[in-house]
Amino acid sequence: MSILRSVLFLLTIVVSLSLVSCSDDDEPSLPVAAETVENLEADPATGFDPNTGQPIGTTGKFKLFSFETGDVVANTDSATTKWDIGFRGTTIMVNGGTSGPGAAQAQIVNGLFDEITEAPETGFVSDNKPTYAIPTGSGNGWYNASAGPPPTIITPIAGRVIIIKTATGRYAKVEILSYYKDAPASPTGNEPARYYKFRYVYQPNDTRSFN
Amino acid sequence: MKKLALVLIIFSGLKSLEAGAQTFQPTGDSIITRELDEIVVTATRNERQMGAIPMPVSLIPKSQIKTMGSLRLNDVLTEQTGLVVVPQVNAQGNGIQLQGFNPDYTLILLNGEPIIGRYTGSLELSRIAVGNIKQIEIVKGPSSSLYGSDALAGVINIITDRPSGKTGNVSARYGTNQTMDLSADVGFTNDKLGVYLFANRYSTDGYDLSPENFGKTVSPFSNETFSARFDYRISPKTDLGISGRYFNENQKFNFEVLSGSELVRTSGTGSTHDYNFNPVLTHRWSNNLKTIARFYTTHYTTDTGLSLESDGSLYYTDDFTQTFTRPEINAEYFINDRNIITVGAGFTSESVRTSRYGDETLRKQHTDYGFFQYEWIPISKLTVIAGGRYDHNSVYGSQFSPKLSSQLEINDRVTLKGSMGVGFKSPDFRQLYFNFTNSAAGGYSVLGTEVIANKLAELESQGQIAAYLFDPSTLGKLQAERSVAFNFGGTFLLDKVTVNTNAFYNTVDNLIETQAVAITTNGQNIFSYRNIQRAFTSGLETNVSYPLGKGLSLSAGYQLLYAMDKDVLKDIRDGNVFYRDNETLVTKRLKASEYYGLYNRSRHTGNIKLFYKNERHGWDASLRFIYRGKYGIGDIRGSIQGEVVPPSDVNNNAVLDVHDNFISGYGLVNLSLGKTFFDNIRIQVGVDNLFDHTEPIFIPNLPGRILYGSLAYSFFKNQSKR
Repeated sequence: MSILRSVLFLLTIVVSLSLVSCSDDDEPSLPVAAETVENLEADPATGFDPNTGQPIGTTGKFKLFSFETGDVVANTDSATTKWDIGFRGTTIMVNGGTSGPGAAQAQIVNGLFDEITEAPETGFVSDNKPTYAIPTGSGNGWYNASAGPPPTIITPIAGRVIIIKTATGRYAKVEILSYYKDAPASPTGNEPARYYKFRYVYQPNDTRSFN
Repeated sequence: MKKLALVLIIFSGLKSLEAGAQTFQPTGDSIITRELDEIVVTATRNERQMGAIPMPVSLIPKSQIKTMGSLRLNDVLTEQTGLVVVPQVNAQGNGIQLQGFNPDYTLILLNGEPIIGRYTGSLELSRIAVGNIKQIEIVKGPSSSLYGSDALAGVINIITDRPSGKTGNVSARYGTNQTMDLSADVGFTNDKLGVYLFANRYSTDGYDLSPENFGKTVSPFSNETFSARFDYRISPKTDLGISGRYFNENQKFNFEVLSGSELVRTSGTGSTHDYNFNPVLTHRWSNNLKTIARFYTTHYTTDTGLSLESDGSLYYTDDFTQTFTRPEINAEYFINDRNIITVGAGFTSESVRTSRYGDETLRKQHTDYGFFQYEWIPISKLTVIAGGRYDHNSVYGSQFSPKLSSQLEINDRVTLKGSMGVGFKSPDFRQLYFNFTNSAAGGYSVLGTEVIANKLAELESQGQIAAYLFDPSTLGKLQAERSVAFNFGGTFLLDKVTVNTNAFYNTVDNLIETQAVAITTNGQNIFSYRNIQRAFTSGLETNVSYPLGKGLSLSAGYQLLYAMDKDVLKDIRDGNVFYRDNETLVTKRLKASEYYGLYNRSRHTGNIKLFYKNERHGWDASLRFIYRGKYGIGDIRGSIQGEVVPPSDVNNNAVLDVHDNFISGYGLVNLSLGKTFFDNIRIQVGVDNLFDHTEPIFIPNLPGRILYGSLAYSFFKNQSKR
């Protein structure tokens, strides 16, 4: 499992001390950067049942991810606050509520990733199985599923930005970019699925600002 | 065209709402002033001169159909301004798009009575042979005030030949794809009795646009049409007309279908039959009062069976039987030349029995209705028509559909006309009772609103529901779809040029859209229907005709169309719709000007036609150019010959915008040349789609280049030029 990390770009906002609220220890905040994760394996299938066409070889386990480290977290740490968010198929959980011991919550905001400069003050919800803070189902959360006969195509809805309050109470914003391996421009639904590409901005300091 | 390689899907509503516009039909061989004198019946349900009708009406005469060399109704309609013949989402059949509305929003009549047997809302136009058609009348804008449900976009009325003197004709045509058409008609009249009989046989080997795939794009089929009409003058004041039609079609298929994750080969047959019977009794009580009693009954049935090629076992069957019966009485009363009243009443009784509703139960509904129309001509230059119709249906309740139209002759050169009206379309049997699991296309299900509650409860108790995507208790009862429409235009005579133009605006509420309701434990979607969308269609249609002299006439037609989902447009204006470039993965906000509108609508369509007729030497010819501008297709997820049809939306917003993939605009060139010898022998040769334009996946109903030749013989010389 390899996670490619690349710095897409640095936000060119000049940090103004007067604008950015200071962290507890009064250290000035550094500008936060947008990071991109590619081919995060969200429990992909190893093959297909020739009779039913259903995927086989899935483990049913979520792939856990930490914004602070920018890396995946082993499933053995699932009972800790080391991870913030988990991916399994189209379902995304956050470390809190019925999903984990952390304080993570989430909400979906409609807008442009870059224009969202501050996390909302209210509106966060926790996972409460069988519902999730990031709603499942076509059109409800981050994706649309094509109607009609298989293969179903999962497309991340443009303009849906996931705002996360992390396991340790910090903020991150996430935009899902693709659900298929190597992010094909026009997926047909036949490509290896459950490979996430997303970008995020993590604010390590105690502020809702994403600048 | 016909039954293309499979995979049916059942999405109607907005995605397929289609459009067109209106005007007079520019005819090649008659100048417009003559056309204004033609008698039409559809717009007012009475015989009126076309020039006196205050709404957009056009007429296609027999002579033009003959010169074009057309065989089936779709051949004729596809060349008319403002009509777009569109392949249906399931690629089964052609439907007609009029003023931006889907095929199910245009009522198609045969001598004033509806033709039934629509498949997912679309009537297969190639079922209708054109050999016995006297004229086709097209009324654009809602005509629910006279015709009730389904006449929301407009009405197309096919008027067949009536007995007239001694006639006898035979004709044969042969062309590409081993397409053979044989027609014969015979008729005679005396003082009291008239008889006209018509027979046609059409057969084709079909065609294959993707030879690398199994099966043909259109499988071979053949059909026969018989029609008869008897006119009997019971007394000088009373006439009885009886007409009937029988149609039979058989087709052999070879399909590759998805079974599990494997493609399996199937073969099978399909058959379609329909017949109708239509006696009409007309009595003239006085010079001022006429009553017409009509009875119409029609029956349509279709059966399909597919077997696996591997072991011959039955893979898929489908049957569908529909009946429609309607008695009606109406009266036309001339108070005087300036005040005319028409009233009528009747009821319809419809039934459907089909495997698609799960249980072969006979489903019925009936409608009682009454209508009135008042034609007022206060001054000779002004005509005002006000009318309305009340329908009461056993399932969806009652509807009132008023309409007001008027025409003003400003001077010899300028006539203006305007109308506003209400149209409606009732939920159809399928939207109420569908209980269909498409095993030929993966196993998704569609459930009508009247059956979904019970069916979901059943699945739930069996533990087959994995998740609900939509609260099924909010689906509720379907309401009729309603529109309010405005048409405004006119006729302008400029020297030799005649310009007909009409601007239209239709606003539609309660559009019925497919709604995904649940996912089963084996990953299949369950769909139902609900009233959801609001849309508008708006545009401008213009036809220009210019007689060049020496038998040549030139015409050009153009339609500009905007058809949009109002809710989507509002979301875009509120800044809530985005698109993601699928190469760079950069997301941007969509501007209202970037929204292209509903799927399957071309912003620009048009035609240029040159007709030639030399009566003296018996020559006729035509050169026609038909253009359809670019358009997008929705997420229909069907497949044509095993090839998945990719949707146009590629930038993750489920909206058709200028950054998406479009099907390119295309033009078709058709040519024909005919020569009549000895007044009773006619030879015609022609080419349709001269440049062999095809789009195997997106336009499967468009065959490549078609060459043909035909020979016709008239037994009675005076009839040969009819």
